[in-house]
Amino acid sequence: MILELRNVGKVWSIERTGERVVALESVSLDVAEGELLILLGPSGCGKSTLLQIIAGLEPLSSGEIRFPAAGAGNGKRTSMVFQDYALFPWRTVLGNVSFGPEVRGVARATRDANAHRLIELVNLKGFEHRYPHELSGGMRQRVALARALANDPKILLFDEPLAALDAQTRRVLQDELLRIWAETGKTFIYVTHSLTEAVLLGSRIVLMSASPGRVKRIIDVPLPRPRHLTGRAEADIVDRLDAELGDEFKRAMAT
Amino acid sequence: MSRSHLRKVGSVLLLLLAWQLLVQWGKLSELFLPAPLSVLATMWEMTRSGQLPWAVLVSLNRVVQGFVYGALAGIVLGLLAGAVGWIEDVLDPWVAAVYPIPKSALFPLFLLWFGLGDQSKIATIAVGVLFLVLVNTVTGVKSINPTLLKAAVDLGASRFQIFLKVILPGALPNIFTGLRLGAGMALILVFITEIEATKAGLGFLLWEAFQLLDTKQVFVGVVTFGLLGVASTWLLQWLERLGCPWIQRSN
Repeated sequence: MILELRNVGKVWSIERTGERVVALESVSLDVAEGELLILLGPSGCGKSTLLQIIAGLEPLSSGEIRFPAAGAGNGKRTSMVFQDYALFPWRTVLGNVSFGPEVRGVARATRDANAHRLIELVNLKGFEHRYPHELSGGMRQRVALARALANDPKILLFDEPLAALDAQTRRVLQDELLRIWAETGKTFIYVTHSLTEAVLLGSRIVLMSASPGRVKRIIDVPLPRPRHLTGRAEADIVDRLDAELGDEFKRAMAT
Repeated sequence: MSRSHLRKVGSVLLLLLAWQLLVQWGKLSELFLPAPLSVLATMWEMTRSGQLPWAVLVSLNRVVQGFVYGALAGIVLGLLAGAVGWIEDVLDPWVAAVYPIPKSALFPLFLLWFGLGDQSKIATIAVGVLFLVLVNTVTGVKSINPTLLKAAVDLGASRFQIFLKVILPGALPNIFTGLRLGAGMALILVFITEIEATKAGLGFLLWEAFQLLDTKQVFVGVVTFGLLGVASTWLLQWLERLGCPWIQRSN
């Protein structure tokens, strides 16, 4: 296992009212090295919070989080790809991609060479000196992916990275994500609320239910890639997810 | 030249021409509104005699010193206040108290404290610039997308690196807004502080000309102030383009 969550809980306290909101309750999860794990659920199920906790950006309120296999190597344990890209507008593509190594003290020549390699990996060669505002949404998300890869993390965390993109661009980037996942052999943990995206991408799908956020079920997706939404087996799993989560989504809409 | 350009240039030339002719035909008094050409001639004389360049130099020295001190203090304090909660709490009541005071009202105090020389004028200008830059810098820091700070932490940046590589560049566009407003304020304040208790500078030149009812020289002073304003705007725009190449500009 590369990551083990044991009874992870997260409680927000709302300062104004003194109310306590249980965002996550007793989440236990084992993540195997090299898998593409999907966290799927309606808004409010705490999937993004869980990702932030894994990233170390949010403290957990209870439970335990372990990285048993992450000791070796000099890369970071995790790196995050945010939904709204979170690129630094004042840095070019090259400057954004090399930000991590730069602040971690990697020599300029090394980090530049590394950044150029990653920019090529995400198909952005020729755009190194563009600023983010000069790129399309899809290209910005490629930059964000290259930037997250630059720290050579064991685990890449994706927080609904394609949610803001149009359907066509999303489709292209889903395929590219799979290619990069296969090429790098890294562990991906991917948050989405799209059933079809979950089936297209995931090795396993963690279904989460809302208020409080819990793991409802974990579904294996043993289908070969490339997958097609028109495929019989794929459609079956989408149906199953729908059956499991349909009520959850309705409940989340109502609140 | 585009139609729009033609209209603009035409507007200026026609008005100046009408003005010149009205004075020449005796419809306007030179005492109140000297003709453009005689203002230009006076300006040339004052430049040749060294009177105008010297006045500009004296004033510029005060403006630039006051501006630089005020801007530096404003940027540093603004970044700290924007980024560090307790520093903001400590500064906030002072900003709230001093910001609304017309900074020219502080000049008499500075005259008492720093004397009749340049220091009192530089101090007044510096304080005027400081608060504009400070307030805009704080706004700039607060306007930074919090996800960017998260991303920087996630990528391994230390607090100091975040300050230097995220907060500073993130606030830079607003800092430049503060600097532009500050430059305007500096010119206003240098004029006000040069009316009294001084024997040199562009404001002094203008005010003395008024007291002697030398309207041409008054106009020369006004026009020169205008030119300084334009020059400072250009200089800051150039600096902004250099400092913030990522900002999308419409023209």
